[in-house]
Amino acid sequence: MDKIKIGIPRALHYYYYGALWKSFLEELGFETIISPETTNKTLEQGTEIANSEMCLSLKIYLGHVAYLQSRCDYILVPRIDNYGTYEQTCTNFLGLYDIVANLFTNKLLTYNVDEAHHQSEQNAFIKLGLTLGKGKEQSILAYQNSKQKLEKIRKQNFKKEMEKLNSSNPKLLIVSHPYNLEDPYIGKTIKKILESLNVEYINGEYLTNEKSIQQGMKLSPNLYWKYNKELIGTIEEWKHKIDGILFLSAFPCGPDSLVNELMLRKIKMPHLNLIIDEESGSAGIETRLESFIDILGQTTK
Amino acid sequence: MKKGYLGIDIGSISTKGVILDENNEIIESSYIWTEGNPIDAVKRLLNQLQNKIDIPIYGIGTTGSARKLIGLMVDADVVKNEITAHAIGTTHYYKDARTILEIGGQDSKLILLKDGIITDYAMNTLCAAGTGAFLSSQAKRLGVEIEDFGTLAVTSKNPVKIAARCTVFAESDLIHKAQVGYQKEDIIAGLCRSVVLNYLNNVGKGKKILEPIVFQGGVSKNKGVVKYFNEILKTKVIVDPNSHLMGAIGIAIMAHEHQSETPKNLELTNISFETKGRECEGCSNHCEILRIYKDHQFIESWGSKCGKVS
Repeated sequence: MDKIKIGIPRALHYYYYGALWKSFLEELGFETIISPETTNKTLEQGTEIANSEMCLSLKIYLGHVAYLQSRCDYILVPRIDNYGTYEQTCTNFLGLYDIVANLFTNKLLTYNVDEAHHQSEQNAFIKLGLTLGKGKEQSILAYQNSKQKLEKIRKQNFKKEMEKLNSSNPKLLIVSHPYNLEDPYIGKTIKKILESLNVEYINGEYLTNEKSIQQGMKLSPNLYWKYNKELIGTIEEWKHKIDGILFLSAFPCGPDSLVNELMLRKIKMPHLNLIIDEESGSAGIETRLESFIDILGQTTK
Repeated sequence: MKKGYLGIDIGSISTKGVILDENNEIIESSYIWTEGNPIDAVKRLLNQLQNKIDIPIYGIGTTGSARKLIGLMVDADVVKNEITAHAIGTTHYYKDARTILEIGGQDSKLILLKDGIITDYAMNTLCAAGTGAFLSSQAKRLGVEIEDFGTLAVTSKNPVKIAARCTVFAESDLIHKAQVGYQKEDIIAGLCRSVVLNYLNNVGKGKKILEPIVFQGGVSKNKGVVKYFNEILKTKVIVDPNSHLMGAIGIAIMAHEHQSETPKNLELTNISFETKGRECEGCSNHCEILRIYKDHQFIESWGSKCGKVS
């Protein structure tokens, strides 16, 4: 018998947990299919399916689901609500399973993380394993092994970004959700422009850890969103090592529109708030980035 | 021998050219409409300038939204964004300027300076409200020449209130006011006022506007808009006689700094310059590739995300 194929959309929380999912499912003996990198077509397909009020990142996610539609037996769409009472994720992450279930007829796999109501990630993965017909012990083992692998990748990324902080070029901390910055459609144009301007850009997400979360409390002690909280901590932790900050968000992101606005009022170093939507021309982005880097060059002189 | 430096600012609505001498004084300038064809506009511009001067040009700089394309065409020594160019041009004349208000055809910008260095800037985002394009389309609707717009606006004693938030709402508001019988000059004054409010709410949001304030860009020629800036900011904004040329002056100063060893050739009238757009079918990205030909020879292409295709 052929292995059961499980599709993983390369979007949204894939950029946090993709390695965990892939390893967990493969260790349990399933085949995984990860949708290819975002292209114009992904976004086109996603936009056709999506509601007009959804954010750019979610439209891209739906485009990835559309790609997987006819290529696998199940699609993995987790529902991640929170990692504790004050560790909320974006409402899109909470609603994702229901959104996809409503828009597609495919069979879906899911797991619920809701630590505020005693549903931990490990428990969620055990349940996922049971749904797939695997034993409890086996699922725990697979989860723990996979979690270790994810940690290892995170450590490598952390080390790589730390090295960039010693660069002699102007250093720009990018405060952005990884599903925006690392997505080829949204982030690539920006990275390319920054490279052509000889700027060392540092992905804030890779620098997040326990310490940065503590630091973030200095900027705002009671922020609500887990991912934003982690990100802004890196501003406070590394502010003496960087020359400027680029806030990058997708239109119309709810958490970013509040948290970034708050940060713009609090921080005292050169910064640029860039909001990306479906536009295909990059001239506007280029002008904004170039002028901003000119300012950095003048202040670091 | 005397040397000249040329700065070209190619905006969405107008194309500006300035030639400076070695002391960065203006020798000659020209201002023409882009009319949706930057290549043709620059050819006409160079023609005009060449007929007026006889000194060799040792440096060329381009700025404005078509800076890359024209930079390639004229073989520019420096290609820079309009924010930096405007700041350099302005601080050349007003060394202690703290705020630059710039309203152009499609963009509006706010530049904050300290000791001649840019400290912050803002640009209008996804919205064209409060730009020159909005004013000129409304002028057409009202049957008024855009050149007369400002003069008419200052005659109004009773400017009507026009929704300042969004161009689309402003337009329906304007039609409504016209239909119920308001005077033309009052409507025009209302429009100028809404441009100012819009600019301050949109671009100027959260920014500290300190004096001296310099107002420039095409819209700074509109006396009505100047009047309402003065009224609302409760101060007098500076409008230079060359306010529409500041970007071109700034980039010419930069061209002076980056000048070439040999004089430049400005004879482009007979050189053909073409662009061809196509959609690449190489992968599902379908990048829009623009290829540029000088005298039917391929010289560069833009738009490829992966860099595989040219």
